[in-house]
Amino acid sequence: MEGKRKREKIEKIIRAEDEWEPIGHTPMPHVTDLRNWDRRLLQTYKPFYAPFCDLCCLCTYGKCDLTGTNRGACGIDISSQQARIVTLACCMGMSAHAGHAAHIIDYLIEKHGEDYPIDLGDQVNVECPNIRTVLGLKPETLGDLRKAIEYCSEQLVHIVSSTHTGQEGDPVDYESKALHISMLDHVSMEAADVAQIVGFKFPTSVADTPIVDMGWGAVDKSKPVILVVGHNPACSTEVIDYLRKEGLEDKVEVCGICCTALETTRYSDKAKIVGPLSRQLFFLRTGIADVIVSDEQCIRTDLTDEASKVGSVVIASSDKACRGLEEVSDRPTDEVVKEMVDNGKHFLILDHVKAAEVAVKAVLQLAPKRKKELIDENKAKELAQSCKECNSCEQVCPNLLPLSSAIKKVAEGDFEEFRSCFERCIGCGKCEEACPQDVPIFKLMQAVASWDTWKCRVGRGPVMDTEIRKVGAPLVLGTIPGVVAFVGCSNFPEEIDELAEIVEEFARRKYIVVLTGCSAMVIGMRKDAEGKTLYEKYPPEFDAGCIVNIGSCVSNAHITGAAMKIANIFANLPLRANYEVIADYVLNRVGACGVAWGAMSQKAASIATGCNRLGIPVVLGPHSSKYRRLYLSRKEEDDWTVMDGRKKELVDTQEPSPEHLAYVVESKERAMVTIAKFCIRKNDTPQGRQIKLNHYIDLHKRLLGALPDDLPLFVRTERDIPMFFKKEVRQYLQEKGWEPKPVLSLPTFIGTYPTKVPLDAVIK
Amino acid sequence: MAHPYHLVNILTGTKGAAEMKDAKPLAKIITKSARPLLVVGPRTLSFQLNEKLLIEYVIEIAKVGNIPICATAHTNKKFLELGVTPDTTYDVIEITNHLKDPEWKGVRGEGNHDLVVFVGFRTDLGNQALSTLKHYAPHLNTMTLCKFYYPNATFSLPNFRKDEEWKALLEGIIEGLK
Repeated sequence: MEGKRKREKIEKIIRAEDEWEPIGHTPMPHVTDLRNWDRRLLQTYKPFYAPFCDLCCLCTYGKCDLTGTNRGACGIDISSQQARIVTLACCMGMSAHAGHAAHIIDYLIEKHGEDYPIDLGDQVNVECPNIRTVLGLKPETLGDLRKAIEYCSEQLVHIVSSTHTGQEGDPVDYESKALHISMLDHVSMEAADVAQIVGFKFPTSVADTPIVDMGWGAVDKSKPVILVVGHNPACSTEVIDYLRKEGLEDKVEVCGICCTALETTRYSDKAKIVGPLSRQLFFLRTGIADVIVSDEQCIRTDLTDEASKVGSVVIASSDKACRGLEEVSDRPTDEVVKEMVDNGKHFLILDHVKAAEVAVKAVLQLAPKRKKELIDENKAKELAQSCKECNSCEQVCPNLLPLSSAIKKVAEGDFEEFRSCFERCIGCGKCEEACPQDVPIFKLMQAVASWDTWKCRVGRGPVMDTEIRKVGAPLVLGTIPGVVAFVGCSNFPEEIDELAEIVEEFARRKYIVVLTGCSAMVIGMRKDAEGKTLYEKYPPEFDAGCIVNIGSCVSNAHITGAAMKIANIFANLPLRANYEVIADYVLNRVGACGVAWGAMSQKAASIATGCNRLGIPVVLGPHSSKYRRLYLSRKEEDDWTVMDGRKKELVDTQEPSPEHLAYVVESKERAMVTIAKFCIRKNDTPQGRQIKLNHYIDLHKRLLGALPDDLPLFVRTERDIPMFFKKEVRQYLQEKGWEPKPVLSLPTFIGTYPTKVPLDAVIK
Repeated sequence: MAHPYHLVNILTGTKGAAEMKDAKPLAKIITKSARPLLVVGPRTLSFQLNEKLLIEYVIEIAKVGNIPICATAHTNKKFLELGVTPDTTYDVIEITNHLKDPEWKGVRGEGNHDLVVFVGFRTDLGNQALSTLKHYAPHLNTMTLCKFYYPNATFSLPNFRKDEEWKALLEGIIEGLK
C-alpha cells in the first residue's frame, strides 16, 4: 500500500522534478501494482501446469502428495505448488542477475566513483528503457544504477517471502509474482550490462563489432592458457589489463566458456570463446586450460575436482561460488603462486586485481610443466573396448542419447554414431559417472570433436535509437515480419548446430534476428560450403535479414529494451513509469518472438517470464516442459475481444494473436512454423499480414506438408491472403467456411480490465 | 506400485502407471473405450522395427481400431506421404491442454476422448504431458505404446530391452483390434 511517505521516497529516488517525460501510473511498482495487468494477460493466456513432481517437500509437515485433488498439510494444491516453484525459480534467476549487477556496479563505483556518467555513445539516447519504464528513473550515473538494484532487491524480499508456507495460495497470484520479479530481472540485467558497457568501455553505438575466434580448436595450447568461466567480467578484464601492462597479451591465451567468454571478447578481441556451457566439462577434461578463473553462475560445482584430475588449478573469484577454498587475498602473491604450481592447490581470491596477477604468474610457471595430450581414434577405440553395452549410460542421459550402442561402435572402429552423440551432448557427465566399466566417455569425445576454428561476432549491447527509427514503422505495420530473439542456454534437444539452421531460415526470410548468451555462440559453430559462419554471411545491423549478437545473458535486457524503444521512439509513447501502456503496445503491436531452444537455468525461466509480462511470446525447446508451467490460450474457444483504441469500442477479433505466451515444441520443424505464427499481430496492415502469412504458410507446407489447420483464424479479409498462395488459400477458406473478420489499427487491452490507465494513454 | 506404510515417506508420488506387458489387455482397453485418440510424436519417424517405421505400426493401429490421429510436431508430412490424413495437427502441448477440459468436443467434434494413446515422444516431454493429464484430467485414461515405461500414464509398456518384444506387442495389439 502506498502512503504519502512512500510516495515522497519514490519521487526522490526517481527525481520526480526532472521533466523529461510525465510520470506514469506505476513508478517503482510494488508487488501488486501490476496485478490487474497480469490477471488480464492470464485471462487469455492461462497457466498450464505439467507437474515435474507430485510432491511438496518444502516443510516438515510433509512430504505431501498433491496428486490430482489432494492438498498438502498446509492446504496447498498441485497448481499453486507448481506456481510457487516457478516463482521461486524466477526469484533465483532474477537474484543471479541482480547479484551480478550489485557486484559489478559496486566494483565499478570503487574504480570510477558513484557519479561516473552513463554514456552509451551518440546513437543511444534512450539508455535504459527497462529502468525508465519500470522505475520512472532516467539513470545518469553508476549511482543511479545502484538505486535500481536496491529497489529490485527490496521487491525480491517480498516475493521470496510469499513462497513461505502459509502465504500465497492462488496459482494466478503466484504467477503474478513470478511475472513481477521477472520484469525486475530485465531491470537488473539492464543495470548490470549498462554498468559494464560504461565501466569497461565495451562496444556501444556500433553494429559492426569485431569477429573473434571460437572453439576449443581455436585455443593455442602451445601457449600458457587461462580459462575464464561464468558470467561476470570483473576478474577476466583484470587479467587482460595485467597481461597488457606486462606486455604478455600475445604470450598467454585467454579463453572463456559461457557468458564470461562473451564479456571478455567485448573487452579484448584477442580473447577466444571456447564454446557454450555444454562444452564446459568436455573442455575441462582436455586439460588444455592451465589456470581456470571462475566467477559466477553456470560454473560446474565440481570444478576444482575436475581441474585436479587433469592438473589444472582454479582461482575462484566470486563470493557467490567460494567452493570451500581458502581465501588468500591478503597472502603474498608469490607464496600463493608457489602453492598452486608446486602443489596444485586451488584458492579463493576475492580481490580481482590480485586474482589476475596470481592467474598470470601461475600460468606462466605451470604451463611449461604440463603435458596436454589429446587422444586419437586409435586410443579411443582401445578405451571403448571395456564397454559391455549395459545401457547404464543411456538411462541417465538427460538428452536421451543412444550412448551405449555408440560406444560399442567406437570399440569396433565406427565413430559416426558417437560423433552424433557428441553433437547432441549437453555436457553433464552423468553417463561417465554411471558407467560400471569406467569407460572415459568424455575422453573419447576428444577423438570425434571437430577441432576447427569457428567465428563469433562480439556482443554489441543496446540496439541503437537510429536503428529503431528505421525499423519501427515496418515492424509495427508488419512489412518487416518480426523480430526473433534466440536466447538462453545450450540444453538443446538435438545437434548443437540445429539452432544455426533455424536462425538462418529467419534471417533469409528478412526477419530481424537477435541473439544472446550460449545461443549467440552456437550459431557460429556451423560453416557453409565456403567455410563461412552466419556472422560472416549476414550483416550485423538491427534490420531485416540481419543477425545481431546483442551480448551475454545480461544483454537480454536490450532485447526487451528494443521492444520498449519501438513504443517510445516510433510511437511516441512515454516510457516513464508507464509499464502497462508499453507492455500493451508490445503485446498487441510489435511482432516479436523469443526462442529459448535450450533453456536450462532458473535465469532462463525469469528472462522468458519477463518477456511474457511485456507481451513477448516465447517458444521453448522440449526440455523446458520441465519448468512445469506454460501460458496457453485455446485458439478456437477463447475470447479474443480487445478494445479498438480509435473507436473506443470492444471488438471480438476472433484472432488468436499472439496465440500463446510460453509454449513448448518438440522439433525444429515445429519451432520454425510456430515462430512465424507468433510474430502475427492484430494491427498488421493487410500488406504486412500478407508477408507474415506468406512465411507461415510456406514453412507449414514445406515442413508439415499442408496448409495450416488454423489458417482461417489469421485471415481477416481477402486482402490478407498472400499473392503466391491466393488460389489455394481461397479454396481452402471456402472449404472451411471462413468469414471475414474485423481489422483493427489500434488494438489494446486497456479498457478491458480494471486499471488506472485511461484509454487515451495508448493513443499518440 | 508399492508404497511405504507412512505415505509421507514416498519418493515421487503415489499414482504410477500400470505396467502392461501383454497385447491382449491393451487391445481390450482400446476396444472398450468409446472415443480413443492416438497422439503421435516425431520419434515415430525415427524408431525402426525391422523394415518398418513406428509410424507405420501406428497407422495400422489407427486403421484397424478406427482411432482418430493427432499428428504432433512435424509428423503430419509423413502421414500425408503415407496416404493418411490425420484428424488434427495440434502439437502435443496444445492437444494436452484441450484434453484436460472435460467439456471439449474432441478432434471429431463428438465429445472429449476417454482414452488417449501417446506414442513416439521424447520420454521427458511425453511424461510431462502425461503428468498434466494425470493431475487434471480424471475423466480420461492414458496409454503409451513406446518401448519405455512412462510412470505418469494410466497404462504403460515396460522398458523393453529387445525391440523384438516391442514389435510383437504392437503386432499383438493390431491383431487384437481386428
